[in-house]
Amino acid sequence: MRALPLVALALGFLVVYVFVPPIPARMADYVSLAILAGFDAIIGGARARLEQQFDAAIFVSGFFANMVLAVVLAYLGDKLGVDLYLAVVVALGIRMFANLGRIRGRIVTLRLQARQARSSAPPE
Amino acid sequence: MAKLWGGVNRWQIALTMVCLVLGSMLGVQVHTKQLQGARQVGRQTSALVGMLTQGQAQLEKQQEEIERLREKVARYEQDASGERGLAQVMSEELRNNRIALGLLSVKGPGIELVLGDSTMKGDDGIGGQDAFVIHDFDLLQIANELWAAGAEAVSLNGQRLSAGSAITCSGRLIEVNKVAIGAPFTFLAIGDRGNLTSALNIRDGALDRLRVLQFQVKLTPKDEVVVPAIAVAPKYKHASPALKEETQ
Repeated sequence: MRALPLVALALGFLVVYVFVPPIPARMADYVSLAILAGFDAIIGGARARLEQQFDAAIFVSGFFANMVLAVVLAYLGDKLGVDLYLAVVVALGIRMFANLGRIRGRIVTLRLQARQARSSAPPE
Repeated sequence: MAKLWGGVNRWQIALTMVCLVLGSMLGVQVHTKQLQGARQVGRQTSALVGMLTQGQAQLEKQQEEIERLREKVARYEQDASGERGLAQVMSEELRNNRIALGLLSVKGPGIELVLGDSTMKGDDGIGGQDAFVIHDFDLLQIANELWAAGAEAVSLNGQRLSAGSAITCSGRLIEVNKVAIGAPFTFLAIGDRGNLTSALNIRDGALDRLRVLQFQVKLTPKDEVVVPAIAVAPKYKHASPALKEETQ
């Protein structure tokens, strides 16, 4: 059951890749932005899980809302002649790095705690 | 682990949904970008084709330009020849050299000689069909005869015979100036009509021999024949003038 998300990822990729016709180039820019937002949401979700604050409803709503917002913002920027596209990329990029940093920190802390617990345990 | 994650089933379902959407988006994106790359290659190819046609058009234009410049030079020479003296002498010399080289189409009194293969069949006598077709050496002999009789310009089937012209055998055909020609062979020669005619008709000469074998020989003196210019001007890749001034 733990492989279910990976299976879904591969399935979605393959089905769309094989059966769905390619989209116009202008749309492709927005899709790339949505993908970025999706990655951000997943990394944020992973962080939340490690910090034991994960909530599925928040995760899913955040995932879709982020995607839509990123695309809408970029679209608005295009219409206004401002490169809000870049703003979205930078904002999401920074957040992804920050979250990855916190995930790393969290994992290291957990490892250290585990080691300390083991070494402080009385020898048998 | 399950305790750490908390609510295993819920988060798995959520992540599965999210991954499905993300995967499909990645799919469409990769697909689109790949096609864009392919289109780019197509665009490059068509750009190269465009460059090629452009280059060819340019070449054509430049050839026209060469033609124009040649005409211009010819006009200048005419203008120069208007003045008497050295300019005229030079222009005359240049003209003569060009005639000698075959760069100019020339006209004047001369002869027309048309040669066809023999009416005799190969089996009739002397041997194979070989004896009854015109060979490169027949034409060479006639050309030689014409020059010896003082012809000033000679052409064979539209090919000007000039310095560097060669008449060679090339299978069933004969090549003049590297252009393949076939029977009937038509010589045009400018020069003294009487001299040319008698030189060709000399006893035991080239035409005599052909007539004996019933080749179709038609020799007509003409008031005016037009001998065309050489198709490709000779190029000198190896030879250069060995002038005294240069060696000093």
